[in-house]
This record gives sequence, C-alpha cells and structure tokens, in this order.
Amino acid sequence: MLEYWDVIWILVKKDFKIRYRNSALGFIWSLLNPVSIMAILTLVFSLLLRSGIRNFSVFLLAALLPWRFFQIGTMQATGSIAGNPSLVKKIYLPRYLLVLTNNLASFFSFIMEFAALLPIMMILGMTLTIHAILLPLVMVIELLIVLGISLGLGALNVFYRDFYQIWEIALQLGFFLSPIFYDPNIIPERYQFYYSLNPMTRIIESTRKILFHNTMPTLQDLMIPLVFGLVLLAIGYTIFHKLEPRFAEET
Amino acid sequence: MNRGSRRKPSLNIIEVEDIWKKFKIPHERKATVLETMAGALALFEGRRATFEEFWALRNITFNVAKGKSVGIIGENGSGKTTLLRLIAKVMRPDQGRIHVNGRIAPMLELGLGFHPELTVKENIVVFGAIMGLRRDKLKKQTDSIIGFAELKRFEDAPLKTLSSGMQMRLGFSVAIETDPDIFLIDEALAVGDMEFQQKCLSKFKEFKSRGKTIILVSHALDLVKEFCENTLLLSRGEMISFGETEAVVNEYVKRVRAA
Repeated sequence: MLEYWDVIWILVKKDFKIRYRNSALGFIWSLLNPVSIMAILTLVFSLLLRSGIRNFSVFLLAALLPWRFFQIGTMQATGSIAGNPSLVKKIYLPRYLLVLTNNLASFFSFIMEFAALLPIMMILGMTLTIHAILLPLVMVIELLIVLGISLGLGALNVFYRDFYQIWEIALQLGFFLSPIFYDPNIIPERYQFYYSLNPMTRIIESTRKILFHNTMPTLQDLMIPLVFGLVLLAIGYTIFHKLEPRFAEET
Repeated sequence: MNRGSRRKPSLNIIEVEDIWKKFKIPHERKATVLETMAGALALFEGRRATFEEFWALRNITFNVAKGKSVGIIGENGSGKTTLLRLIAKVMRPDQGRIHVNGRIAPMLELGLGFHPELTVKENIVVFGAIMGLRRDKLKKQTDSIIGFAELKRFEDAPLKTLSSGMQMRLGFSVAIETDPDIFLIDEALAVGDMEFQQKCLSKFKEFKSRGKTIILVSHALDLVKEFCENTLLLSRGEMISFGETEAVVNEYVKRVRAA
C-alpha cells in the first residue's frame, strides 16, 4: 500500500475538492448542517418535550458529529466504485483505494468539523478536559467501522444500485436507534442487548463521555466497537474481494 | 508486484496464454434486487434465467517480444477491446494467464475518462499520479503535458467545458508524458485533428525507436501496417491468425471480401 501513498493522497484531495465544487459556501455547509440540526432538535427536545437533559445542545453535538461521519462516510463510499467508471474501466488501480480514499476524505471533513465546532461547543458550556486525548482513538475506531461497511456496500452497489437506497433507509432508522438525542439508559433492560448490537452506540457514547460527561470511556466502550470494526472490515473486504473481478464489466 | 512464482527472465514483454473471457448479456435492462428475487422464485418454477452467456474471447495465445508492436484487427464485436482490457488488467480472464513485464499506459480510447468537474490541471495531477508520475516531478511535467496538448488557455477550466477532441488530446499527452513501456491504443486517434494526429504519430515513432511496445487496435489498416511488426486477427472472439502484419492484413481483407 505504501507504493500508492502519493495516489492515496491525491485521490483524497480530489474527493475533497469535488465535494465542495460548484457550491458557494463550500465547507461551511459541513458546519451549517449539524448546527441547524442541533438547533432544531434542541428546540424540540429541551423546550417542547422538556427532556430534562442539561446543556442539551452540547449533549447533542457530541453525538451528531460522529454520527454524521458514519452517515456521510458510508453513503458517499457506497457510490465510490459505481460512480467512478473511468477509474475502474480504463486504468488498473487497486479498487479498494477508491473506497479508502473516499472514506479518508470524509474523515478529514469530520476532523475539520470537529475543530470548527469545538469553540461553539465551548461557548455553549462544554469544558474540554484531559480525557480528550482519547478522542482521536475513538475516531480511528469509527473509521474502521465505516471502512468495513463501505467496502461491502461499495462492492454490492456496483451490481445493484438498490443498496444505496436500502442503506439510506437503514441510516434513517439508525439515527433513532443510536443514542443521539437521548440517553441510552432510557432503553429498557431487556432490549439493551439488541440495542448494543449497533456498532455506533459505543462510539457515540465514548465521544459523549469525553466531551459532555467529562469521564473516561471504559475499556469496554473502546474494545467493543474495535471488535465490531475488525469484524466488519473482514466481512466487507471479503465481499469486495469476491466481487472485484467483475467491477469493470458492471460499471 | 511479484506474484510468488519465480519466472525465468523472458524476452517477451507481454505473454498471453490461453485466454478465455466470458460475458453475460442481460436480456432486459439491469434487474433490481426485487426483480432478482422475483426471478429467483421464477427459476424455482422452472423458468429460464434472464441473461445468456457468451464467450467474448476463446483460446487466445500470443507473445509480444520486447521492442515489438502488435496490431489487433477484426470486425466490430470480435473481442479487440476486451483483449486490451485484459492486458491492461482492468478485467480478468475466466481462464488463462497474462504476463506483462513493463509499465502500461491506460487504455487510450475515445473520451478518455477524466473527471469532468475538476480542472485540466487537477485532472493531470490525479491521472498522472495513478499512472505513476512522481509527485515532486509532477509540477514540471504538468506544464509539458499542457504544452503538448495545446491547452494552455484552458488549464484552469473544468474539464467538462472542453470539446471531446481536446479531452482526447489531454489523455494522449498525459499518457505520453508518463513514458510507459507499453501503449494500449484503441481507435483513439480518430478524434484528434490532422495536426495533432501527426504530432502523436511522430511521438509514437520516437517511442518505437526507443524500443517501446505499442498495442494498436484499429480499423485503419495502413496505420497498423506502419507501426506493427505483427498483427492478430480476431473474429467472434477467436484468433484467426497471428503473424507478420502484411500477411495477416491481407488475410483479413480477403475474408471481408469473401463474406
């Protein structure tokens, strides 16, 4: 993979440029989007429904940011093979690089969003503590999960474009099935196991512990999504590897 | 890039051994998941599948010696482009093996697919990097690519604003600049204007004189005669003959007249 380092870097930059090309506000959209969702959800949950969670906007943003990376990262990468026929049909390039670089572009976008919104979160009452040193680790574990899912979906989507639609619906459900605008403790005990099968649960919880509760994520909080990530990566790569020989015929 | 098995050093730059390639032709438009599920149910009821298989290439074997060029001729649908794609490693054969001992320029065909939203310069960087240009040298090479393509005025314009002839020129220029060992050319010259064609042809002659290999798919038989020592004649996915260009081209002309 090292021999492709230049290519990876240039493809990531390309992806990044294309995302914001032809839009006047460019990257600012990446900030306006979570901020407006935060504003609406805060309005609904702390004023109308009175969830009783103090400092709800920080509570929410700490979960929205990793969720957005999960959502955008997997969605964009699902189309990364099918949407790049010129790179698939005319030039030999290990195709997983298309998925990987797409994910990395989303990942950098995620980091920049975080960096840009941190001051806003501090203004809203967040305190940044020493626990934040674990944040990069949580983000990288999430990247593994995203990459695993993206490899599988990206390959399947070449043959059936339906996977893009299916995944879009799954993500909408996932938004409600992840502890984004509520605390996971409200889930009844007997459903907790099923609830924890969502790989994003612990990622969101870890991020929230670091930024909102100001506590360390437990070892479990990190190990469980890490195992999820590695398993998903193995499954995703297997699917990808199996389908790859026919990519050029189907794109 | 070594695939385990130690091969004895070979004088051939390309070795194609008993290649078979199968395609599926869907009988309808592409099925969705639901239709496939319905189709699978229908299969249980004994109805037939909605695609047929056909062999695009059968039993193709030939070698290209270092420094030699090969033409590939044959009627439309005879498998020429598929063969190029297999050599470029873009597709994989169902059977057989292909060894390539050198760096290949990408498939040069009509409207070489660059990214339409990126500018000419950005496209050069992306494709140059994929084709193995070093990042530190790319800056200088970008200028000579733009120069050769005569696109100085358009260097910061999105690619989509260029005409197809201009895009083809850009494709050629990038490929030429990467200085590959093997050129795969698929009818692409047809788009450029006379002047650019001449420029490319003289560039190719220069490449040939430096011992590089050109694999040329073309219906322009005099071009094949000019560049290729050997020629491969395909018909319906089968190798009709492979040998000296003059003889093979004559055979092709005879076959066409007889038909």
